[in-house]
Amino acid sequence: MRCGEFHTTYASDMGIFDTRRARWLLLVFIVALFAIPFTATSYWLDVTNRAAIAVIAATGLNILTGFTGQISLGNAAFLAVGAYATAYLGNKGVPFLIACPASGIIAALAGMVFGIPSLRLKGLYLAMATLAAHFIVEFTTVHWEAVTGGVSGTSVPSPRILGYEFSDDRRLFFLIVPVCVATLYFARNLFRTRVGKAFVAIRDQDISAEVMGVEVFRYKLLSFAVSSFYVGVAGSLLAYQARIISPENFPLGVAIDHLGMIIIGGLGSVLGSILGALFLTLLPEILRIVTSALSGTFPDLIRLFTPLRIGMFGLTIVLFLVFEPDGLADLWRRIRNWFRLYPFSY
Amino acid sequence: MKLMTSALLALCVAGSAQAQQEIKVGGIFDLTGITSDVGKPFAQGVRDGVIWTNENGGINGKKIHLFDVDYGYKIPEAVAAYKRMVGDDKVIMINGWGTGDTEGLKAQVNADKVPYISASFSGHLTDPSKTPYNFFVAPSYSDQLRAWLHWVKDDWKDKSRNPKVAFFYGDNAYGKAPIEAGRRYCKDIGVDLVDEEIVPGAFQDATSQLLNMKQKGADYGYINVTTTGVSIILRDAKKLGLNTKFGSNPYGFSEALPQVAKEAAEGVTGVVPHVPFGENVPGMKRLIDFHKKHHPDDTHDAMYVRGWCYVLVWSEALRRADKAGQLSGDGVKAALETFRDFDMGGLTNPITYTSTDHRPETKTAIYQIKGGKLVKVAEYDMPRKPEWLGL
Repeated sequence: MRCGEFHTTYASDMGIFDTRRARWLLLVFIVALFAIPFTATSYWLDVTNRAAIAVIAATGLNILTGFTGQISLGNAAFLAVGAYATAYLGNKGVPFLIACPASGIIAALAGMVFGIPSLRLKGLYLAMATLAAHFIVEFTTVHWEAVTGGVSGTSVPSPRILGYEFSDDRRLFFLIVPVCVATLYFARNLFRTRVGKAFVAIRDQDISAEVMGVEVFRYKLLSFAVSSFYVGVAGSLLAYQARIISPENFPLGVAIDHLGMIIIGGLGSVLGSILGALFLTLLPEILRIVTSALSGTFPDLIRLFTPLRIGMFGLTIVLFLVFEPDGLADLWRRIRNWFRLYPFSY
Repeated sequence: MKLMTSALLALCVAGSAQAQQEIKVGGIFDLTGITSDVGKPFAQGVRDGVIWTNENGGINGKKIHLFDVDYGYKIPEAVAAYKRMVGDDKVIMINGWGTGDTEGLKAQVNADKVPYISASFSGHLTDPSKTPYNFFVAPSYSDQLRAWLHWVKDDWKDKSRNPKVAFFYGDNAYGKAPIEAGRRYCKDIGVDLVDEEIVPGAFQDATSQLLNMKQKGADYGYINVTTTGVSIILRDAKKLGLNTKFGSNPYGFSEALPQVAKEAAEGVTGVVPHVPFGENVPGMKRLIDFHKKHHPDDTHDAMYVRGWCYVLVWSEALRRADKAGQLSGDGVKAALETFRDFDMGGLTNPITYTSTDHRPETKTAIYQIKGGKLVKVAEYDMPRKPEWLGL
């Protein structure tokens, strides 16, 4: 009978999975994931794809904010950079396999530029600097009409791989979800490496990290780059999925949403990014179903839907900060351990 | 057992017959976004029009089921709502709203063959060779602005120089839609466009824009935002003591404007493609009757009438498509394109769509606020010039 988790070797301590069973369960889960396109209606596929994109973007932000401790309000901006890069490249006939990573790299470069202030700024000041990044990018997307199409937006061609066109949400699923799984796998592994450990050291105490020999500036910039690469890839997929992008796709609210995702999910946890992104993508859908189910009895409820959504968002964040500051990821860990170690957990 | 089977079968048949009796239509409205001041009465007009149609025989006996959603004037929300309506709810056509989302969805609409009848009168949607599934029920924003500029030219008495005009618009697809057409028409008829002022989506103060305009010496100003924005510009203009004569597009000008802007609205002109509520025209009777029957205490305006006009047009198209046995996206599009001077009972001018020209009407009425009331002062008919199609 198990009563706790005990790692007796460094290898097992560093392992991605706590137990062998977890590995199998994950495999089963991924296989089950691919049953979605064969069962879900096209709208729910759209929701699934949006959720997968949100997972990538939230993971990107978590790398920067959750793991490296650098707060950023520039996520919507980096998302926009990735999306517009894809739109521009896609319309020039660049295929998906080049356009998507290239968009990530362009976003990473933008992230590094806007990450430079992090050398001297921390906390609230860095938040303001990244907020400035948001407005600079927003201004650019509205006014650089030759590339972005201005306020009316620009359309994006369907992604193609070897002549196969991913034209609807069902096909896009097979593009977006594997990319999502791959980025998550990379993120999980990143924090087993020297670079990942350096990020965490900077978050915990940047002066001690410097004393230990971590080049703080270099790693902060690297964190900005990796994070923005993730967000840029998410932006690229978003562009392919939405088919038309305009500055309205990237309001400041998106950056706040992403912060909400990692707070609700759990800062500094890859699983947290997943759970938080899923939670906040599905919340409005659930609210919509509930309000429309009740609209027969309360016809005015449908008008309350949008304010209700914003209100619920705020309420959830406050409740999580007060009662579950480590987020859904920690909640999940505790529930899992309770079942696994039942009845002798201590 | 046999009885049960046949009863079950009968139930199934009845059920499927019931499903066939229903025509699914999508409605994408703005009830909470930056255009909700005019979006709400429009949505109510559409909803009431649907209820009225269902109470009065439906579509050749079939009921309309309206799947409506509030998208908050956000393009991504409209795209999601569109996908849900077309993918899951299987609607055959959509009654949409804003310019940005309508122009954004046009490629998708073409691919899915879903007629998209939106409340955006953007001239960009009138060329069927580019946007075959887009329709609206009014003269285009561009024709409206041309008509207003024409009125300016007629109103201008000082023949020693041209009248000077300024445009006010938001930095979005809706605000910018008629601007290029307006710039060109100013040159054509001899009006000097001296200033263009950009206003934010939601704003509380327009003083700086108005001071700029004053410096450029504009005699007239055309405001291309919605009622709330127009009233703020008028209020600030009054505060600054400007004597510029203002005009507004149809989303800034209705019975609501003198109520919001009070005396600042006096003398303001506006484009009114759909008559004010209660106007003495034959088509108004059913609106008044419906209003008295369902919500006698409400007040309504031209936006509400506009919503009704939309339902009158597309329900007629559904009726024609149904009669032809083609209740599909393509069938509805084809039915709409058979409209030749379709009589709207005076609620708006007769509607015409052809397979090569989706400009529904070209006559634009100009109203002026006199003593807090909307009074018709002029009407202009813009020619169907081929080079204006899609502009």
